[in-house]
Amino acid sequence: MTEAVLRTENLTKRFGGLTAVDNLSLNLPGRRLHAIIGPNGAGKTTFFNLVSGLLAADSGRVFFQGRDITGLKPHEVSRLGIKRTMQIKSVFPQLSVAENLWVTRHATKRVLHPFRAASSDLETRERVEHTLEQIGLTALAQRPAGTLSYGDVALLEIGMAVISEPRLLLLDEPTCGMSPAETERAVAKIKQLARTIDIVIIEHDMSVVFEIADDITVMAQGGILASGNPDEISGDERVREAYLGRPEDEDYVEEAIHA
Amino acid sequence: MDTLLLLAMNGLIWGLIIALIALGLSIIFGLLDIINIAHGDFFMVGTVLAWFTLELTGNFWVAFLAVPLIGFILGALIQRAVIQPIHNVAALSIVATFGLSLILQEGVRITFGTTPRRILPPIQSTFHMFGIDYEIYRLFAALVSLLALAGFFIFLHRTKLGTWMRAVRHDRETAIAMGVPAQRVYVLTFGIGFALAALGGVVAAPITTVEFRTGVDILPFCFMAVIIGGLGNLPGTAAAAVLLAFLEGIIQSFADPTVARISSLVLMSAVLLVRPQGLFKGLTK
Amino acid sequence: MMTPAVIARVMLIAFGAFLVAVPWLIPVILNKFWVSVIAEIMIWSLFAASVNLLFGYIGLLSFGQALYFGFGMYGVAIGVATLGLSFWPAFGLGIVASIAIALVSGIFAVRLTWHYFAIITVVFSLIFYFFAVSVKPLTGGDDGINFALPPTFSIGGVTGSFSDANFQYFFILATVALCFFLMHRVIRSPLGKAFVAIRDNDVRAALIGLNVYQLRLIAFVMAGFLAGVAGALFAFFGRYASASYMFYHVSGEAVVWAIVGGAGTLFGPVVGTTLFIVIREIVSTHWEHHAFIVGAVAILVVIFAPKGLVGLWNAELARWSERTNDASVKTKLRTEP
Repeated sequence: MTEAVLRTENLTKRFGGLTAVDNLSLNLPGRRLHAIIGPNGAGKTTFFNLVSGLLAADSGRVFFQGRDITGLKPHEVSRLGIKRTMQIKSVFPQLSVAENLWVTRHATKRVLHPFRAASSDLETRERVEHTLEQIGLTALAQRPAGTLSYGDVALLEIGMAVISEPRLLLLDEPTCGMSPAETERAVAKIKQLARTIDIVIIEHDMSVVFEIADDITVMAQGGILASGNPDEISGDERVREAYLGRPEDEDYVEEAIHA
Repeated sequence: MDTLLLLAMNGLIWGLIIALIALGLSIIFGLLDIINIAHGDFFMVGTVLAWFTLELTGNFWVAFLAVPLIGFILGALIQRAVIQPIHNVAALSIVATFGLSLILQEGVRITFGTTPRRILPPIQSTFHMFGIDYEIYRLFAALVSLLALAGFFIFLHRTKLGTWMRAVRHDRETAIAMGVPAQRVYVLTFGIGFALAALGGVVAAPITTVEFRTGVDILPFCFMAVIIGGLGNLPGTAAAAVLLAFLEGIIQSFADPTVARISSLVLMSAVLLVRPQGLFKGLTK
Repeated sequence: MMTPAVIARVMLIAFGAFLVAVPWLIPVILNKFWVSVIAEIMIWSLFAASVNLLFGYIGLLSFGQALYFGFGMYGVAIGVATLGLSFWPAFGLGIVASIAIALVSGIFAVRLTWHYFAIITVVFSLIFYFFAVSVKPLTGGDDGINFALPPTFSIGGVTGSFSDANFQYFFILATVALCFFLMHRVIRSPLGKAFVAIRDNDVRAALIGLNVYQLRLIAFVMAGFLAGVAGALFAFFGRYASASYMFYHVSGEAVVWAIVGGAGTLFGPVVGTTLFIVIREIVSTHWEHHAFIVGAVAILVVIFAPKGLVGLWNAELARWSERTNDASVKTKLRTEP
């Protein structure tokens, strides 16, 4: 068996009286695209926050490719090659699209040169241009990122994740708020990325999940409700119950069944 | 020993006055997200207005009513004219209130002059305490401050406007969605903040000197009370003001006033770094 | 073609030429006094630039930069008056002192952000202000230290000294210009881009791998350096140092200058500082209450030009160039698939 790309042992995070992530032990093997689904408040985003270092776990451990990364700061986690996108799209609004990619590419370097002009770095310039082409934003390269449409921001986020050459990509609802056309473009991009990078994705859009995921983990109330391949999950009685227990999530189930 | 008690007593009284001023600073910060650099000058304007009231009417007691009222109107006008157009943007509001501070100080220099003046306490009698004759007015000042503090808390918790103010401070978006007229609350908050500082000025006028500079000296102290009490924690702010002035009073009995001031600043740094939510977080709701 | 970049370059060259010509030009059209006013404006612009580096580029509003200005000032004054140092060691002492105190206070201050950062920086500066006021034998308190100016250099028979007005002017011009050039380089470098990224979105900056705390500390020390150089220059310029320059009002003025001029632009602090010092010098000869006008102008600018005067200028320029280049812009627009 290959070493898990991401593994957690008894990971727990409480907010006051609420246990957001409850004794979670996950084992995600490499070379597969994992999706994490579950009703609102299941602890999915908290789980990402624990892995990426934005939150400190109350107990438990996180391992990345066998290495204990529990308690590392966000930039330390990032420098190991774990990159993530945020649920609420989040770029650097006053930097241009190209500069967003620039700064992301440079961020992983140990020393940021204080005096040489950023634009004189040819290697990075080529990478930026290449990435712009990949995500189809070449024409908008000089626009401030804050003026982009929602779908373009999401593409830029993916571009930022790619240009940093991640070893593991955590995508938090990448298609949330996208138009159908934008979703299609993003899904194609993610599928292409998954060929070379390990990806964990949180997604509410079940048609997306069942289209791209190799494995699915269903979370509820901070723990694992079920895990397996898409067929197993869509047939799982407990999963249907978890969703049916919350009327507002009913359409997810509809989608899940018909996917 | 007697001097120690005396200084502690003076510190306590000053602390109550500072609490009044700091409370205004704290509600303006809590509701409008504004670091009000001009707040010390609101106090200073209060002392000057008290002096003018005495000059015009010959009766100092009138100032206790008239000056907070003028302060309220000034505050409301300032909010509409200066603060509202910059949409509570914190960095801009610092510049705007800094400009306001200059205008108020220069306005006072133009009308009142630069010479420091003293106001005789309206209650001249003294009584014997700790081996010296202690001014009864100081006790009266403490009483007025206490009453005003109590009145303000009752206002916050018992009136519709007070409830609105607490609602906006707690969660602006939700409050607006629930139909609280936020814009009006901002105007009133700024007015009340100015009125509290101006009342502090009236109460303090016979104890301190009246001049255009007093606001600059008092501002850091008010900020200390707000920070140590916890930003937005009103009872904490009042308690911190009293505690700080009391401690400085005691330290002054055996060391230089500057040493006292440095000690409180160091205490404040420690609070900021270790408990930025204030010393009293968790003790009050 | 007159693009905004070309216009900016032409203005920069004209501005540089003007500054070089000042010692000959200004006595003819105004009088000699204004030469030293312009020298003073340059020093204070550098001080405002230190606020701008922090607020405009990494998003930390320091209300305590006077502390580092004061250390630069006292480093020079104590170096010359007490330790008997010559010009360059005293200059160096001032700069090293301000960098050192910026590092020590920065280690604590940059743990905090926003209001808390503004307040802790003012608290630190007040601590040292009261300290300087009370340790009279070392600092002279509010009265300050006066000292006799040492010559800047002496090679063979040629001596350069601040007592020569032209030498003083050009020394200040060269030093301030060098500092602004360094800042310009930093802003355009990968480091500068990382600063702006943190200003825009610090959580995201950490997630792409930037060490936010460390970078904020670097910016803080750099700002301390700029303020320290300004303070050291001002000590030589005025031949004295005083605790009153460490009071929070001095920090506050720099914040006003930087924001009114345009935070986040290289020359914003220069514009803001020039505006206010020129107002002060012109008004104060006619009316002693010039601060009244200063306050009113500060308020009017933040209401009507929230991005500062340079921000307003840039926006107008961009609008103008967009209108004139409408055709070429259209081709750049991407067509939705």
